[in-house]
Amino acid sequence: MTLLLHTYQFFTQHPGTIWRHTLQQLYLVAIPLAAAILVAVPLTMLATRVRRLYGPVMGFANAMQTIPSLALLALMIAIGLGIGVLPAVLALFLYALMPIVRNTYVGIMGVDPGVKDAARGMGVTSWQLLWMIEMPLALHVIIAGIRSALVATIGFATLASLIGAGGLGSLIMEGMGLASNSIVLAGTIPAIVLAFLAEGLMGRVERVLTPRGLRA
Amino acid sequence: MTDGNSGSPGADSETILEFRGVTKSFGGRAPAVRDFTLSVARGQLVVLIGPSGCGKTTTLRMVNRLIEPSSGSIWLEGRDCKTYNPVELRRRLGYVIQRIGLMPHLTIGDNITFVLRLLGQPPAARRDRAAELLEMVGLDPAEYLDRYPAELSGGQQQRIGVLRALAHDPDIILMDEPFGALDPLMREQLQEEFKRLLRTVSKTIVFVTHDMDEALSMADIIVLMKDGEIVQVAPPEEMLRHPADEFVASFMGRHRVLRQASEVSVADVMIASPVMTSASNGLARSLELMRRRRVSSLLVQDSQGRYAGVVRQSELQDHIEAGDQSPVGTLADRTVATLAPSDSGLTAMHQLLSHQQVDSLPVLDADDRIVGLVTRGTLVGLLGDALRVARGVQDVNLAESDRALAGEVAR
Ligand SMILES: Nc1ncnc2c1ncn2[C@@H]1O[C@H](COP(=O)(O)OP(=O)(O)O)[C@@H](O)[C@H]1O
Ligand SMILES: [Mg+2]
Repeated sequence: MTLLLHTYQFFTQHPGTIWRHTLQQLYLVAIPLAAAILVAVPLTMLATRVRRLYGPVMGFANAMQTIPSLALLALMIAIGLGIGVLPAVLALFLYALMPIVRNTYVGIMGVDPGVKDAARGMGVTSWQLLWMIEMPLALHVIIAGIRSALVATIGFATLASLIGAGGLGSLIMEGMGLASNSIVLAGTIPAIVLAFLAEGLMGRVERVLTPRGLRA
Repeated sequence: MTDGNSGSPGADSETILEFRGVTKSFGGRAPAVRDFTLSVARGQLVVLIGPSGCGKTTTLRMVNRLIEPSSGSIWLEGRDCKTYNPVELRRRLGYVIQRIGLMPHLTIGDNITFVLRLLGQPPAARRDRAAELLEMVGLDPAEYLDRYPAELSGGQQQRIGVLRALAHDPDIILMDEPFGALDPLMREQLQEEFKRLLRTVSKTIVFVTHDMDEALSMADIIVLMKDGEIVQVAPPEEMLRHPADEFVASFMGRHRVLRQASEVSVADVMIASPVMTSASNGLARSLELMRRRRVSSLLVQDSQGRYAGVVRQSELQDHIEAGDQSPVGTLADRTVATLAPSDSGLTAMHQLLSHQQVDSLPVLDADDRIVGLVTRGTLVGLLGDALRVARGVQDVNLAESDRALAGEVAR
């Protein structure tokens, strides 16, 4: 009970600190995720046309996610990027690639061959096939991939403070250093809330972007 | 031309599509299509038929360049297809496939006018055109325009698939087993509907099927293929009557059997002197006649020589044992169906099959005189003859070709 009370007190006494860390956390999630979307989606689309690209692209993304998150952070330091926001963002970006690559590929390759054959037979160009057929039909699958990338990134982002990137993780570290459970909670609670909010939001986006004809 | 639905081409018919020695090889194997040469006249419905894997789909897809020929050329309205931009070429043609392939994320209206959208027509005009086409197949535009494919039955979806190929009013429509995925009843319904549709819009159609019933009912010209090559090109009637070789004959086997049975008359196959008795004869005498002639029923004649009915052995025996003294005429059953000498063998088959309790049918002339008898045995003989004709030669195994067909249907 006292723990909750102390935590509550920390929230009311240091709203600025919590807000600053939460905002940092948001950047730590949004920037790598946006970059991962911008790189992974077009690259994977290209790989659905030029099949031999898929092996290397997926292999790389897979490797990035297979490396334990801590090791990936350490790797950033090891390759000479030092500590701070930049190596953290890079690590988070690499970590977020895999689910997006996987779902983009699966989504586009999963479009009914009959639909694609009919579309080609009616005279779509390969761009039109992508924009008018494959993208709309694969979009909800791609969004689902972005959603899992987001959840993974939010979790990983709290670790990024280990290499000095700030965010809610650093609040948690600080609390652990001071053996103050209330400060740890002050970092943990916003992180959890953030994760749930993001998850709920992406769920909505996924539903909205599912074409009406595909909704059961 | 089976029922004159799509303007049979005359001598002055214009060639709209021409295959000139087209060959297609995939990799190192035997060519999928070899030296395919065919002229299609404007307005014709040409059916490509043959066993699975004989190259029908490949041939069709070379027309709209989804597949490029390895050698030879295809000419469309006097122009080599190679000189068209493939995308533009496809927008000039209609294309219907077995898998239907409606766009699940587009409304029925947008699906029907998809090519018009590619051609840059404004939405309002497209909507009008979609409504017009829906009405042509009896679907209410108000109800269907804004629905999605998933909300429609298979038959309705394929109707939309066909309308989609008509929306931009192409001269030529390519159809690859368009009704193949539908159940037989729905298939027949769509065939009829499609033939009706073709009467209002005259189109040249290349139609792939493996269903001989479909080919016979739709085709102006049937092109029978085997192992990538054309075996015979002929109108349905001619192919039935004069199959080019035993492969064609066996491929059409079942249909030729029926054809044979319908061409043979009852007079040709009946037993011309059936065992008869006079109505006034006694029962015991009639039974003795049956024993002597080894038959299980007798045809009964009245005093003027006219048909009076049939008596059966079991009935006679019962009545004799009961001490019945009346003449055989009183037991004659007149309810058995009868045939005329001019009826076809097929009619006789139908009659016997639909009256399981009788095993023979009397044949009567116009004056009700008995001229013969058709038994189940007679018809078995007729079928046997027809089968031999259908085989062309003895050693082609008909059952095998039917199995091949059944296998393809099941696929
Ligand atoms: N894209 C392809 N690559 C390799 N072989 C193919 C391809 N398409 C068809 N074939 C082969 O060509 C032959 C004819 O196929 P197809 O035209 O589909 O036959 P059908 O439509 O008469 O069943 C088959 O042996 C098939 O395996
Ligand atoms: Mg085929």
